[in-house]
Amino acid sequence: MRVSLYVPADTWLHRLDPMTKLLMAAAGVALTFVLARIESGAVLWAIFFTVLGTGRVLRQAGSVFAGVGIIAATFLIVQGLVHPTNATPLIILGPVVFYKEGLLIGLRLALRLYNILSATLVLVLATNPADLTEALVRRGAPARLGYVIMSVLQIIPTMVAQSAAIADAQRSRGMETEGSLWVRVKAFLPLMGPLVTSSLIATEERALALEVRGFGSSARPTFLKPEVRPPHAGLVRIMCVLTLAAGVAGRLLLGW
Amino acid sequence: MSAQRKTSPWSMQFSTLTIVLIPVAIGINYVGKLIAAALKLPLWLDSIGTVLAAMLAGPWVGAISGAANNVIFGLTADPISFWYLITSIAIGFVVGYLAFTGWVSSFGRAVALGFIVGIVATVVSTPINVILWEGQTGNVWGDALYAYLVGNGWPIWLASFLDELVVDIPDKLATVIVSYLILRALPERLASLFAGGRDQVERL
Repeated sequence: MRVSLYVPADTWLHRLDPMTKLLMAAAGVALTFVLARIESGAVLWAIFFTVLGTGRVLRQAGSVFAGVGIIAATFLIVQGLVHPTNATPLIILGPVVFYKEGLLIGLRLALRLYNILSATLVLVLATNPADLTEALVRRGAPARLGYVIMSVLQIIPTMVAQSAAIADAQRSRGMETEGSLWVRVKAFLPLMGPLVTSSLIATEERALALEVRGFGSSARPTFLKPEVRPPHAGLVRIMCVLTLAAGVAGRLLLGW
Repeated sequence: MSAQRKTSPWSMQFSTLTIVLIPVAIGINYVGKLIAAALKLPLWLDSIGTVLAAMLAGPWVGAISGAANNVIFGLTADPISFWYLITSIAIGFVVGYLAFTGWVSSFGRAVALGFIVGIVATVVSTPINVILWEGQTGNVWGDALYAYLVGNGWPIWLASFLDELVVDIPDKLATVIVSYLILRALPERLASLFAGGRDQVERL
């Protein structure tokens, strides 16, 4: 079981250094808010599709997109039914009327959701969290923050495995995990309590182990691997800035 | 190695122990959400770790746990969580500060704390919902209420506030009560190690 959505592969996107991908994600999110029209939002999504596709992570992105499909559908339904500017009935299903204005707003919200997701996924799906953390610490982020990030990614699988063991142990003592809402509510504490207590007890030992290894030292850490920035990173960075500039100019001058 | 004794809830001296507490808190958030989903509970219960860290080690550790939680999940598993960063920070601050001033000293007060946290979370999340999604929350029950209210001419801000409130109050109430019960069950020595709220309260 893994927390991170990162998919290892060897594509132009994966070979890029983490900071360049961070810039791509930031430019993508910024463009999502800069571009106002539905058409321009769709063009932006097409760009993300190309990036994700050539980075060979489109399938994983697809399952994330499907995961928020219900939320996107709620946007369309709710805004289509009740947005204050609704005036033109478009779809009439008996007593239920969907209006054009609201549906367009719902569509824009859904596109915004997918564009924000896609921009972030460019970074998330193609970057090893360890590399990203190292790149950030190299640039002055506190080393303790680096510890926190890496530690979370390691701790979660352990805790999930432990919670499965606790669930088995409690079930063997007769705990019910299915049935009425109250039965399921009552099961929460016996599942959560032992896990929390044991993980908190383990923190003391872990803190000791870290301190004897110099965790409290204030010296800047050195790095095992030198940082590699591939030749195409510069080009990608320039493209990001240019696309963002084009988006801002298009919005201001042409109303994109 | 013992944690520094803090004289003020806003003390920013972090021991190694409190730093180690942060990833554990984030792990607890994650597993809480997982178990709630596995039990098909109609709640998220995804901030128990943040609340516990704040109760144990004060507002700064609570807020940092909350922030780190949303940044890490935003960058690894759930990109949208990044946008609700401020909500998590607010929860950490509020619980941490109020735990120091005696709001986890009894069950009744913990229930009141749960309501306060629910309201704070709603107040902070509503502007985010309005800016990003016209005020919808993506939660089916909350959005059904939102649709009803906006359909009857209520302003979007108010409908959005209530949309978030009906989801957040039960969720944060349950979160704080579960955290309180776990906190009570922790060995005394462990709870005082983090030099957090309860230790102070009992010495006062």
